[in-house]
Amino acid sequence: MSIAELQAYGYVGAMVVLVFISYGYAYHLYTKKKDASGKDYEEYSNMALRDDITDTPVSARSEHKKK
Amino acid sequence: MFHWLEKHPFFFAVGVFLVIAFAGLVEIVPNFVQASRPVIGTAPYSTLELAGRHVYIKNSCNACHSQLIRPFKSETDRYGHYSLSGEYAYDRPFLWGSKRTGPDLMRVGNYRTTDWHENHMKDPAGVVPGSIMPAYRWMFTNKADIDTAYAEQLTVAKVFSTPYNKPVPMKDGSTVTVKMGSNVAEANAMALAEAKVIAADMKGQDVKDAVAAGKIPEIVALIAYLNSLK
Amino acid sequence: MENRPLEYDYTVTKMFMFMTIVLGIVGMLIGVILAFQLAYPGVNTILGEGLAEYTNFSRLRPLHTDSVAFGFTLSGIFAAWFYIGQRVLKVSMAESKFLMFIGKLMFWLYAVGVVAIVVSLFMGITTSKEYAEFEWPIDIAIVIIWVLFGISIFGLIGIRREKSLYISVWYFIAGFLGVAMLYLFNNMEVPTYFASGGVGSIMHSVSMYSGTNDALVQWWYGHNAVAFVFTVPIVAMIYYFLPKESGQAIYSYKLSLLSFWGLMFVYLWAGGHHLIYSTVPDWVQTMGSIFSVILILPSWGSAINMLLTMKGEWQQVASSPLIKFMVLGSTFYMFSTLEGPIQAIKSVNAIAHFTDWIVGHVHDGTLGWVGFMIMAALYHMAPRVFKRELYSKSLMATQFWIQTLGVVLYFTSMWIAGITQGMMWRAHDEFGNLAYSFIDTVTVLHPYYTIRAVGGLLYLVGFIMFAYNIYKTMSARPVEEYELQNASPMGA
Repeated sequence: MSIAELQAYGYVGAMVVLVFISYGYAYHLYTKKKDASGKDYEEYSNMALRDDITDTPVSARSEHKKK
Repeated sequence: MFHWLEKHPFFFAVGVFLVIAFAGLVEIVPNFVQASRPVIGTAPYSTLELAGRHVYIKNSCNACHSQLIRPFKSETDRYGHYSLSGEYAYDRPFLWGSKRTGPDLMRVGNYRTTDWHENHMKDPAGVVPGSIMPAYRWMFTNKADIDTAYAEQLTVAKVFSTPYNKPVPMKDGSTVTVKMGSNVAEANAMALAEAKVIAADMKGQDVKDAVAAGKIPEIVALIAYLNSLK
Repeated sequence: MENRPLEYDYTVTKMFMFMTIVLGIVGMLIGVILAFQLAYPGVNTILGEGLAEYTNFSRLRPLHTDSVAFGFTLSGIFAAWFYIGQRVLKVSMAESKFLMFIGKLMFWLYAVGVVAIVVSLFMGITTSKEYAEFEWPIDIAIVIIWVLFGISIFGLIGIRREKSLYISVWYFIAGFLGVAMLYLFNNMEVPTYFASGGVGSIMHSVSMYSGTNDALVQWWYGHNAVAFVFTVPIVAMIYYFLPKESGQAIYSYKLSLLSFWGLMFVYLWAGGHHLIYSTVPDWVQTMGSIFSVILILPSWGSAINMLLTMKGEWQQVASSPLIKFMVLGSTFYMFSTLEGPIQAIKSVNAIAHFTDWIVGHVHDGTLGWVGFMIMAALYHMAPRVFKRELYSKSLMATQFWIQTLGVVLYFTSMWIAGITQGMMWRAHDEFGNLAYSFIDTVTVLHPYYTIRAVGGLLYLVGFIMFAYNIYKTMSARPVEEYELQNASPMGA
C-alpha cells in the first residue's frame, strides 16, 4: 500500500470518528442539558455576569472539600 | 468526557493541541520528500544570483510580484509555462507571493533584458507609462552582500546537500555544474567575474566604475537573479 | 494595607492597553500611507529621495501587516487576557507576586521586541515569509514572550477559585497553543553565520523547507495565524465583553461549547485554500476548499450566538455605542467568514487569487471585526481599570459611524478592484489573444485605490478619536463600584 493510500484511509477513518464524536457531543449536550455534576450548562454563563472577586463561584474549586 | 476536560486545564490543553495538530500532520508530512525533489533542468543559484535574491527579499519584491504561474491559458500566454513543484527545489524561502500588484516574475529572465531592468529600476514609469511601482535608485549605490550569500551557499550545501560543485542534469541530457568558492575570497572573485558580464550590458557609468573597482552594487546582483528566472 | 479588601489588579492590562493604542496608530498610519502610495506613487518619496529606501511601499508593507497583527491585535489580546482571565477565574493578580512579575516581564520584553522588529524591518532584514518576516534572533525573543504568556495563562488557571473554565478561557488556551505550534514549525531556520563557520551577516538565516514545502508550511501557518490571532482570541473577547456589557447571559452556552470544538477541528485544514492552482498536491487544494466551506458552520455558530444574546434587548444597540461596536463586529465576522469560503471555491479563487479582493477580505475581517472588538474591549475595560466614566459617549458614536463608513468604502472598492482585475487578466479577444497588457489592469484600478485610501484614512481618524477618548477618560469623573456592574458609565 502506498503512502497516499494510507493517507486516504487514515483521513476517511479520522473523519468518520470525528463526525461521530462531534454529533454525539451535540446530542449529549441537548438531551442531557446538565453536566456530570448536575449543573445546567447555561448556568456557566454566569461566570461572566457575576465575576466580581467577592461573588460566589458557579462551582467553587474547593467545594468538595467543604462538603 | 468533555465535561471532565473542562475542569482539567492540562488535559484540555492536550486535547485542543491534538485536534489542531492533526490537520497539519495529515496535510503536510506525507508529501514532504516528494515535493522537495528538483525537476530536471533546475540548478542551484550562483553566489551572485543568491546575493540578488537577498536584494529581492530585502526590498520585499514578493509583496507585489508573484513567482507562481497557474495552469490557465491566460497565465501561460502571459508568463510562460505553468510552474512545476520541482522548479522550486532550491528556493529557500519560496517566493510565490500572495498578491500581483505587478506582473508575475517566475520566468522574467525569458523576456526581459539587463538593459530593460536597469532603466526600469531607475524609473519604472519612464519604461512602463502608468506604472505605480516605486523607483529603486538606492540599489545603484548600495553594495550587495556577497559574504552572506556565500554563507548561505555553504549552509545549504552542508545541511541540505544542495548540489554545488556537482553535475546537475539538464533537459537536453547534458549536465551543468554550479561552482561555489572554497573560501570567502574566492567566492567574492567568482561573484565579481559574474558581475562584470552583467555590468558590460549596462549603461550607467557609476555601476560600471564600481564593478571595475571590485565592488558589486545591489542592482547588478538583482539583475543577475532576475535573469536567472527562466 | 493588610485590611484592604482583595481587588483585581489591572497593572499589566493597563500597560498593554497603552501599547495597543500606540501600535494601533502606528500600524494604521503606515497602512494609510501604503494605500496612498498605490493610488499616487509620488507618495513613495514623501520624505525625499534620500530616504526613499525607507519610505517606499515594499519596505513599509511588512511593517504595516506586522504592526497591526502582532502589535495592535496581540497587545489588545494580552490586555484582554490579563483582564478577563482574572475575572472569570475569580482570582487577582495581586495574589501572586510571581505572576505579577511574569506579566510585567512579558510586557517589557514585548516592548523591546517591538523596537527590534521595527528597526530590523526598516533595514530590510526579513525572511520574506508573510507574517513571519522576523529573523532568527527575534524569533527566539518571540518564543520567550510566548512562553511567558503561557505561564500567565496556566499560572492564573492554577490558582483559580472557579472550578470550571469559562468559554473565553478555552479560546485563550487554544489561541496560545495554536500560535505556539504554528510559529515554531514555520520558523524553522538555520542561521547561516553559524552553519558556515562565521561568514557573512549574523542576522541571516535560511529556511529549513524549500519551495513547495515551504509554501505549504507557510500558508498552513499564515492561514492559521489568522485563526489563532484574528479569530480565536477575539471570539474569547466577545464571549466575555458582550454578555457583560449588555447584562444578558450568552444565548446558548451549549452552542458555544459545540462551536469551539468545531472551529478547532475544521480551521487548520483550510490553509490549503491559499495555494489553489499552485504546485501543492491537488487533494490538499481541494480539501482546503471543502473545509473552508464547512468552516462557515462553527464560525456562524459563535456569531449567531452573540447576536441572539441581544435577543429582546435590541434597544441597547440603539442606545449604547459600545454595544454597537460589538454587534457590528460580530456582523462583520459573519460577513467575512462567508466571504472567505466563497473565495476558497476553486472557480472563484481562479479570479480572486492575487487580486485586491483578497486584500478587501482581510480588511473587512480585521477592520470590521478585530479592530471593532478590540476598541470595544478597551472601551469596556477603561472605566473599570481607571475607575472613571468614559469621557464622551457622543464622540464614541461619531467615531463608530466614521469608521463604519471607512470600512464600507474599503471593502466595496476592493471588491470591484479585485474582480475587475481578475476578469481583465483572463480576458481574450476574438482571436484568442490576451485582451489587455498588464499595465492596463493596473491603471484601471486608480479610482478604487483612491476610494480605499480615503476609507482607510477615515478609519484612522476614528482610531485617533478613540485614543483621545481613552486618554480623556483617565481624568474623567470618578465612578463608584456599583456603576460598573454591566453597562459602562459614559459622559455626554
